[in-house]
Amino acid sequence: MLLDVKNLTVGYRTDDRQFRIAVDGVSLALDKGETLGIAGESGCGKTTLARALMAYTRPGSKIVGGNVFLDGTDILALPDRQKHAIRGSRIAMVPQNPLSSLTFHMRVGAQIDEIVCRHEGLSRRQAQEKSVALLAATGMPEPDAIYRRYPHELSGGQRQRVVIAAALACRPGILVLDEPTTALDKTTELRVLELVSQLREQFDTALVYISHDLNVIARVCDRICVMRDGRVIEAGDTRKTFASPVHGYTRRLLDAIPRVNASGPVRPLRADSGEAPILEVTNLKYRYPATGLGIPFSPKKPGTLAVQDLSFSINRGRTLGLVGESGSGKSTVASVISGIIPPGSGKIAFDGVPLNRAAPERPADLRRRIQMVFQDPLSSLNPRLSIGRILMRPLRVFFAMGHEEARQEAARLLERMDMRAELLDRFPRQLSGGQQQRVALARAFAARPDLIICDEVTSALDVSVQASVLDLLLSMQAESGVSCLFISHDLGVIKRVADDVIVLQSGEVRDAGPTSDVFTAPSHPYTQLLLEATRNVFDVRPAASDEAALAVQ
Amino acid sequence: MFAAIARRISLSFLILILVSLFVFLATEVLPGDALDVSLTDDDLAVLTPEQLAEMRAELGLDRPAAVRYLSWLSGALVGDFGNTIITRAPVADIIMGPLRNSILLALATTAVAIPVAHFIGILAAYWRDRAPDTIVSTSAIVGYSIPEFVSGNALILIFAIWLPIFPATIVLYTDGPILEMLAVSILPVATIVIGSIAYLSRLLRLGLVEALVSDYVERARLAGVSEWRVVFTHAVPASLVPTLNAAALYVAGLLSGIVVVEKVFAYPGLGLELINAVLKREVPVVQATVFLGAVGVLLMNLLADLSIIALDPRVRRSAGRG
Amino acid sequence: MLKKSGKRILRSPVTMIGIAVLTAHMAIAALAPWLTPYGSSELAGMPFEPPSREFWLGTDILGRDYLTRLLMGGRITISVALCGVFIAIVAGAFFGLAAAWHGGMIDEVIMRLVDTKVAIPSILLVGVLIPGFGQSVPVLILVIALVYVSGVIRTVRALALTIAPQGFVTAAVLRGESNLSIMCREFLPNVLDLLCVEFAIRMSSAILLVSSLSFLGLGISPPTPDWGLMVSEGVGYIHTDPWLVIYPSIALSTLVVALNLTTEGVANALGLDAARGMTKG
Repeated sequence: MLLDVKNLTVGYRTDDRQFRIAVDGVSLALDKGETLGIAGESGCGKTTLARALMAYTRPGSKIVGGNVFLDGTDILALPDRQKHAIRGSRIAMVPQNPLSSLTFHMRVGAQIDEIVCRHEGLSRRQAQEKSVALLAATGMPEPDAIYRRYPHELSGGQRQRVVIAAALACRPGILVLDEPTTALDKTTELRVLELVSQLREQFDTALVYISHDLNVIARVCDRICVMRDGRVIEAGDTRKTFASPVHGYTRRLLDAIPRVNASGPVRPLRADSGEAPILEVTNLKYRYPATGLGIPFSPKKPGTLAVQDLSFSINRGRTLGLVGESGSGKSTVASVISGIIPPGSGKIAFDGVPLNRAAPERPADLRRRIQMVFQDPLSSLNPRLSIGRILMRPLRVFFAMGHEEARQEAARLLERMDMRAELLDRFPRQLSGGQQQRVALARAFAARPDLIICDEVTSALDVSVQASVLDLLLSMQAESGVSCLFISHDLGVIKRVADDVIVLQSGEVRDAGPTSDVFTAPSHPYTQLLLEATRNVFDVRPAASDEAALAVQ
Repeated sequence: MFAAIARRISLSFLILILVSLFVFLATEVLPGDALDVSLTDDDLAVLTPEQLAEMRAELGLDRPAAVRYLSWLSGALVGDFGNTIITRAPVADIIMGPLRNSILLALATTAVAIPVAHFIGILAAYWRDRAPDTIVSTSAIVGYSIPEFVSGNALILIFAIWLPIFPATIVLYTDGPILEMLAVSILPVATIVIGSIAYLSRLLRLGLVEALVSDYVERARLAGVSEWRVVFTHAVPASLVPTLNAAALYVAGLLSGIVVVEKVFAYPGLGLELINAVLKREVPVVQATVFLGAVGVLLMNLLADLSIIALDPRVRRSAGRG
Repeated sequence: MLKKSGKRILRSPVTMIGIAVLTAHMAIAALAPWLTPYGSSELAGMPFEPPSREFWLGTDILGRDYLTRLLMGGRITISVALCGVFIAIVAGAFFGLAAAWHGGMIDEVIMRLVDTKVAIPSILLVGVLIPGFGQSVPVLILVIALVYVSGVIRTVRALALTIAPQGFVTAAVLRGESNLSIMCREFLPNVLDLLCVEFAIRMSSAILLVSSLSFLGLGISPPTPDWGLMVSEGVGYIHTDPWLVIYPSIALSTLVVALNLTTEGVANALGLDAARGMTKG
């Protein structure tokens, strides 16, 4: 057995000096060349476990029990010097966020060199040759140039490749990857995952792959462990686990994954009412403001075009999904329609009224009728105001309600969002992420809008929470008949909520049409790539909601 | 990179002009001119209006304020600060020696404070929240909570009076030889160094504590990079960036401290010159010393900014710290 | 949250010592007129009398009771610092928020003025103002406000710049709230913690500055009892009567040390960092 973990327990000291357990008696085993996925939602202890596999804990944490046998030796019992010697040479880590994980003031080459020098005692010159070769192995076209760059000069995908090259520098027997692609776009993720699989074979390395994304684990790993509250609650062959999960929690997690390639419509299509669309956008263009060097009177660089010639419309009561990766211009579209930024050229008509000004200059009723929900639920709620005051504000601004009336209405809103009215006196930080996003939704619905703009509203949430928030949004929409512009990078989520979809890339439309058509017969190669990147690898168990949807039909 | 440097330099120059405008306005325009301010009631009783007018003309005070400002500024930029009101001696000649002495004091302080502060700061950050840190952090707070005139007098009392090792006051001429000046300025330097070390070591500790819990330090540690390399090639250079930003602000505080110390030890520097000039209402000398003080601060800030550009490749491209 | 912070403060002995000493200082400063046996300028005895039952700490160069002057000596410095810093905090919060929220030219102008002020060391700033504006308590208060407003503007602006892009501010803008309402409802509650810490940091620094100025003869004028002034009056007799210098020095130092220890402890407990803000100005 290459790696054998027995009863590993890790605890940490909290701010109020209590000792809590983060990893609770975990046992697992990994053989040469195997791939093991560790899945779990935020706070389940998977990252702490990953570090503990290398006999490392963060300051404040402590390994309190268990053994980690690497080739038969318990590395937890080794003196510090030998632990250092093992890290990076026999077991190596690919960290979560490549930008913050590379030292910003050092060239990336030097950061690989030092690992090679340390473990293999090479000279500087040999180290440099080796580093360049490693960078080349990760598939970067100009490894010499990359070697001399600083981390901030690279793209997200390139940085991830650098970090992988650094981890593989000494051909470790085990590579631990901690959410290595979470910060990346889906198409980049796909390429990185392919690279990881290819390098794994080339370097003959066993993998421990940690992720919240079951889909990604299914792509990479033969075996899977599902963690919850510091314990492994289910372990086994990936395909079997996906097909017939034993534990109820695993089943719920699997059900919550949005399905991209499920056959048939995932829910009944809302009928097109035939009325004039609520929102019509024609030939929208938006250019970022020019940036200067900051020297007085120096020339300015014109801003890049964020959105080029975009036209679409949203019919009443329907949802338009806007899909794209970072830099596609999808958030710019949301900002322009909601009025965060003044529009560029082109025409936007909302219920026949032109939207040619930023929100503060729009008539109050127009501001009420278009509401926006943001990506990060915590930062979209003022941490110093109670939930009650947050919800009462739009009621008082838009409907001139008195204090008592507004409070009662706020309580009703909370209840419609499946939350107790006692939460009115709580503060945002006392709520869970899902509850925060419900409050944000409630605030938007408080204005009784005709159009609601959702900008990546579930990307910051765990899958299980995401599913419940999406359900809530759908039921609220059914109840109120509001139209929706739903922006997301996640095709699965889009498929779940959107009637029609537009695929954006670099500010241009790549694909557009009813969701079912675009998903089943994508016309543009980019859409096909996106679909491939988010494809459910094992779609063996139809989700409960799909069954329900089919039953309705 | 050139754009970033050019921006820093042009900004410093702009600030210098604004400083000169402020100094001029504060002393000459509101609420009376330099002559009104300089003359005592006794002087006014003796002088006739004609004599006053003549003095004004001689000092150029009869010209409009804008003209006076521009001629003062153009002089100041080349080191000509006009003549004193009472003795009519060129201000530049008067402040030359004291300026040299003050620079000497500042350099000696910096030369001692920076290495020691680094040593202490790194020690405290590495053993964060353990005994060395608690001792260093608490004594640092005490260190910079004590004003220079208290610590200076304490040093005099201990090392000049109770144990007569050093002289209590500097009784040298303004233009004594540099080595002699240095030899007698151990106590003044020690006084400023106490506060500076306290402040700078805390800044460094804070910057380094942040760097040591960063993702890049963790990655390097998990790659087996030696602890020595992690601290000195990854963390310390990174920690200098926020430290330099804050330390640049401290330069002004250091100069204020030097003024007090010069007074405590009767050290013949620019600070002592300033205090005497203020008490004598010798406006041209006040203007010159304050202007030179601001030049010093701006130069040090520029140096800090350029060091940051050298240390942090990210700011080489962007417009700067804003 | 508050309870947690309170616990953390109670656990730190250094902070508790700071709070105790600070409280004692504040009580003495507030009650001094009723505690003291003599008037602060009253020539109660002969000059340089040694400690006795009548004069516990002896008398000063003019024969005034030293204990009386020592107990009274913090009042004026603390009051001047308090008023000046209060003005600086209020004005700094306003200009800092305005600069961050409006951006553009307003930000540029405010920040360049701040840079200008920062380039002039505080004691030099006082020096350049005294010839024209004279040396009085109101001028001193305004000078203190001017000295500290720039730092407050910078820190408030820096924090406000991190608040401005957050969703709750955008939501307020989209609701069409007025600038004033956005400032007061969205920004102000989120910078209050910082303002409290700023207040404490600037207070200790201002007390140091006022007494240094008095020591230099540029601050509070005789015959007011004031620690800085008392040190400068006593320095000439340091060889023969060192206590004239030692007592006021100890009084001043303990006050500032206690204030800084308290600030540090409370700021840590609130999760804010005070270290970068603390300067002598």
